[in-house]
Amino acid sequence: MSASGFLRFPAPLTRRCMVPWGLWLRERPALLSPGTAVTPAQMAGRKDRPALLSLDESELEEQFVKGHGPGGQATNKTSNCVVLKHIPSGLVVKCHQTRSVDQNRKLARKILQEKVDVFYNGENSLVYKDKREAEKKKQERKKRAKETLEKKKRLKELWESSKNVQGERSADSD
Amino acid sequence: MECWGRMLRAFLSGPGRRGATWGSAYSSWQPHRPVPGLLNATELVSHWTAIFEKEGIPEAQESSEYIVAHVLGAKTFQSLRPVLWTQPLTPWQLQCIQELSSCRLQRMPVQYILGEWDFQGLSLKMAPPVFIPRPETEELVEWVLEEVAPRPHAVGAQGGPLILEVGCGSGAISLSLLNQLPQSRVIAVDKGEASICLTRENAQRLRLQDRIWIVPLDVTSEGSWAHLLSWGPMDLVVSNPPYVFHQDMEQLAPEILSYEDPAALDGGEKGMDIITHILALAPRLLKDSGSIFLEVDPRHPELVGGWLQSRPDLSLHLVAVRKDFCGRPRFLHIRRSGPQRGCPVHAWPGPQPARVPG
Repeated sequence: MSASGFLRFPAPLTRRCMVPWGLWLRERPALLSPGTAVTPAQMAGRKDRPALLSLDESELEEQFVKGHGPGGQATNKTSNCVVLKHIPSGLVVKCHQTRSVDQNRKLARKILQEKVDVFYNGENSLVYKDKREAEKKKQERKKRAKETLEKKKRLKELWESSKNVQGERSADSD
Repeated sequence: MECWGRMLRAFLSGPGRRGATWGSAYSSWQPHRPVPGLLNATELVSHWTAIFEKEGIPEAQESSEYIVAHVLGAKTFQSLRPVLWTQPLTPWQLQCIQELSSCRLQRMPVQYILGEWDFQGLSLKMAPPVFIPRPETEELVEWVLEEVAPRPHAVGAQGGPLILEVGCGSGAISLSLLNQLPQSRVIAVDKGEASICLTRENAQRLRLQDRIWIVPLDVTSEGSWAHLLSWGPMDLVVSNPPYVFHQDMEQLAPEILSYEDPAALDGGEKGMDIITHILALAPRLLKDSGSIFLEVDPRHPELVGGWLQSRPDLSLHLVAVRKDFCGRPRFLHIRRSGPQRGCPVHAWPGPQPARVPG
C-alpha cells in the first residue's frame, strides 16, 4: 500500500468515482470531514470507545484498474485492485486483498480511515490508542509474571534456609 | 482443451514425472523455465510477469500474482502471509506454477486456470465454456438485495421471495441471492447443459441445493417456459442475459472468444434478442407489481425504454436505470403494473412440484 503504486497508473485511468449511494445503502457511513471537531458523544460506535472519524466521499479519489474498453460481458478483467486517495491529506491506499472489486473498495476505505485518523490525530488517534493499550496490557502481564517468579524464588529460598536450620539443629543435638 | 489435459496430468502425476506424455508440453514451455536455484514467490511473480509481458499477455502482473498465490493457497498475492513472499518454493509448487502459467500463455482466462472465482463473497467453481461472472454483476445483486430487503414477502409454507434467474451460467447470481436472502427460493434456467451442471455443482458445494430448482430451458424457444408457470407467480426475474451486439463479438479478447460460450454473450443484432424474450414472457410469470432486474449494454436503457413503449400489452414500465462503478448505465429495474391480462395464473392446471433438490 505504498504511494508508488498510485503513480504506476497512467493519467487517463484516473477518475473521480463518486460512489453511487445505493451501493452503500446498507452500511452507509456518517458524513464527516476530518476538519470537523466532533465529540465522542456525537459519534456512534462501540460502548467503550468512539468510532473512527468517517471519510467524506467527496474528498476521495478512486481508481479501479478496469482500463479502457466496454466493460461488462465484453471484458474479462481480473485486476480488481482498488487505489484510493484521500485528497486533503494525500494519503493513498492500494488494496488487492480479495478478488472482488466491491470488497476491495470497502476494505480500502477502512484502511484509509485508520490512516487518516493517525494522520490528523497522531498520538490521539484510535490506532495509537489501541496500540498503547495493547502494549500496556502486555507490560502488565510481564510485570505480573515477573512478580510471580520472584515470589516463587523467595519461597524456595525460605524453604532451603529452613532446611539448613533444621540440619544444624539436628547436628547440634548430636 | 489442450491446456486442461496438461493440467490434469500435472495434478495426477505429481512431481518428478517425465516421459513421452510430457514431451509436447515441455517443448512448448522449456524456454520459460526459471533459472535453477532457490526462488521465492515474489521472484517467481517477477519472472512470469516479464514473460507474459514479452508474449503480449494482458494483465501480466495480475495473472502471475493470482497463479502464484493460488499455488500457495491464497486467493490474492496481497493476502498471502508476508513470510511466504520470501520463502523458497518447492519443486512441486514450481511445477504447478509452470503448468498454470503455460495455460495463461495460451490466453486462457485466469478464472478457468484457477478453476474457481469469487462472487459476492462466495467461492464458485469455474469451468470452460461456462460464462465467467463479471465484477459489474455483483452490483446487480446488490441492487436486488436493496429492493427486496425492506419489503417483507409472503412467508407462508413456501417462504419468499420466489426468484427466476434466466441464464444462470455458473450460478453466481442465484446462489448469491439465496445466500443473502435466507427465505428465498430460486428457479434457475439456462439453455447450456454445461451451465446446468456447473450451477448444480456450485449449489451443492455451497449447500444451497434445497432452495434452488435448476432447469434446462431456452427462453427463446416457443412455449418452452410454459411449465414454469406451475411454480406459481414469481416475485422477481433476474438476468444477465447475453447482451453483446453481434457486430462487436469479433472484437472481443481471445480470452473470451476462445474459451467462453459465445451463446452466453451474443445478443443478436442490437444485443436485444434475449432481453426482449425475457421481457415478453415476464408478465405471464410475475406477480402483480413483480420486478425484473437486468444487466445490459450501456446502449440498452434507451433501446429497452423504446421497446417497452411499443409493447403496452406487456404492462411493463422502466422504473430505474443504475450505473456501474465505472459510471456506465448498466442495470435496469422494470416493473410489472396491474393485474395479468388473459389467462390468470390460478386457472392453469398443474400441481406444485415436489421439492426435488438440484
